[in-house]
Amino acid sequence: MVDQYTGPLERIDDTRWRIPKSYRPDMRVDGIIYADDALVESIKKDKAPEQVANVACLPGIVRASLAMPDIHWGYGFCIGGVAATDPEQGGVVSPGGVGYDINCGVRLIRTNIALADAKLNMGRLMEELFRTVPLGVGQGGVVKFNKAELCKLMAEGSRYVIKRGFGWESDLEATEAGGLIEDADPSLVSDRALERGSDQCGTLGSGNHFMEVQVVEKIDDAQIANVMGLVQGNLTVMIHSGSRGLGYQVCEDALKELHDTPRKYGIELPDKQLVCAPVHSPEGKKYLGAMRAAANFAWCNRQIMTHLAREAFAKVFEQPAERLGMNLIYDVAHNIAKMEPYEVDGGTTKLCVHRKGATRAFPPNHPELPSRYKAIGQPVLVPGDMGRASYVLVGRPGAMEHTFGSSCHGAGRQMSRGAAIRASKGRNIRKELAERGVIARAKGRTGLEEEQPDAYKDVTHVVDVLHKAGISQKVAKLRPVGVIKG
Amino acid sequence: MTGTFELFDHTADMGIRVRAETRAGLIEPAAAGLYAAIGELKADQSQGKSFQFCARGGDDAILLRDFLTELLVLFERDHCILIGTDEVEFGAGQMSIAGKSATVDVEQSIFYREVKAITYHDLELREVDGGFEAKLIVDI
Repeated sequence: MVDQYTGPLERIDDTRWRIPKSYRPDMRVDGIIYADDALVESIKKDKAPEQVANVACLPGIVRASLAMPDIHWGYGFCIGGVAATDPEQGGVVSPGGVGYDINCGVRLIRTNIALADAKLNMGRLMEELFRTVPLGVGQGGVVKFNKAELCKLMAEGSRYVIKRGFGWESDLEATEAGGLIEDADPSLVSDRALERGSDQCGTLGSGNHFMEVQVVEKIDDAQIANVMGLVQGNLTVMIHSGSRGLGYQVCEDALKELHDTPRKYGIELPDKQLVCAPVHSPEGKKYLGAMRAAANFAWCNRQIMTHLAREAFAKVFEQPAERLGMNLIYDVAHNIAKMEPYEVDGGTTKLCVHRKGATRAFPPNHPELPSRYKAIGQPVLVPGDMGRASYVLVGRPGAMEHTFGSSCHGAGRQMSRGAAIRASKGRNIRKELAERGVIARAKGRTGLEEEQPDAYKDVTHVVDVLHKAGISQKVAKLRPVGVIKG
Repeated sequence: MTGTFELFDHTADMGIRVRAETRAGLIEPAAAGLYAAIGELKADQSQGKSFQFCARGGDDAILLRDFLTELLVLFERDHCILIGTDEVEFGAGQMSIAGKSATVDVEQSIFYREVKAITYHDLELREVDGGFEAKLIVDI
């Protein structure tokens, strides 16, 4: 059983709680958790707030150690954790602030297809997606890349696989960083990582990864939704996946290599899983170079699956995907570390921003936004669970001011996998989902049981907190109508 | 296999608890625990290939973790599982294993979930009454 958090949580306002740095002598800044009064009670049930306090001890941390309302316990950083460090002040980078699944993220594709017109084809569509998209344990992708090709793919990002026919040029503009983080160094990715990833680019994985067909159920901001191409009653496709075995191995390699690095730089850590190195150190640069390469692999992964989804839709609806309007709305990472400029003490400083289960949420007019989103802000994609809802939001100025341009990434688990399986005894989760209007197919024997809706918090509650806090603004609610899982 | 394993709940992931009379006796049940987390894996026992693993470095728990990580890569990269050990040395800061692996029979196997990694969280190997116990958490 996981211990509960018993330390201080001071209410700042309706949406924020503070762990004061006076709580522990090793904390350099406060911890701040975004939550309302109801959510904070469940947050205290595990040790995630203690992890927020632990992260507050990292050298060079700026302003505060943050957590989004979908906070729950993780390795080193909690899930939902955000922390920015200043490299010029000895700030560190920590693989625990990114996670094993480097650039796990979400992308959303729109369509011109009304659910009302598609109902008769939904069964066929889900079967075609289930058949076409590689998913589950041990499933290889439709294309296997050799070592040289993988290195090119990691160096060029999404553009590499688009040039090979897996997508449209327009997908690049709608992908965070254009599907390519600069300064990736594929030569730093180990042979073992390359071996694990060689047949996994374009595969979904399993666990909480999914491809979901949704209907736009409710629009909260018609003007912004119109810019994105979201139409009430029309279908969308959401893909949640990451860097697969290649990324997991890059993290594994880094954790091993950095094992003694804190001691080398005189860094004392409250938790060994916060192993880290100064950003400007050879060790820090090595991790960042490899992490960026893995991040680019993840964008290629989601890009290939986008192509496969388009092909499945085209086959079932007997029209080209272009005619179906299957444009990419956006793709955004929620496990990553990026160098981004922020106002600190009256000047602009480039900080190393860790988002571990947290989504970038840039406001209108941010220079990194594609031209079509400059006026409205960056789309923020927040998957919930396969029974209830997911959300599309946009970043607000409050994110730049308070959370280093970050918002939540999902609902957060409230039930362990074992508990979810036990709660499923005597039930047919697939049938229950069908009764809710969701066609669900899973390859793994326990996939639907472990990922059932009750295993997750209500994502509406999570996004409402950040909407109220001025971090990200609700645009549309998406209801699942079909899901495939590994 | 004389040792035992059990899987236990751990937040969003899973734990493996292993018990045996000797350190060396932890190896096969630890492997079995990892495979049980992935599914019910079957392999053609008659098609065994040589498997070797050697590691050294002070902490026994980390050595066990590193061994399971090797098995995870063997499974993902080569679609093989360990089917038995012939020689196991584990102690005094080193581990040496010689055994057999075989290709997973996809048709006969049932898959539950992917294991991303064997974490360092709550990693423990200690002496208990009657032998040794190890605890590892796997990231799903």
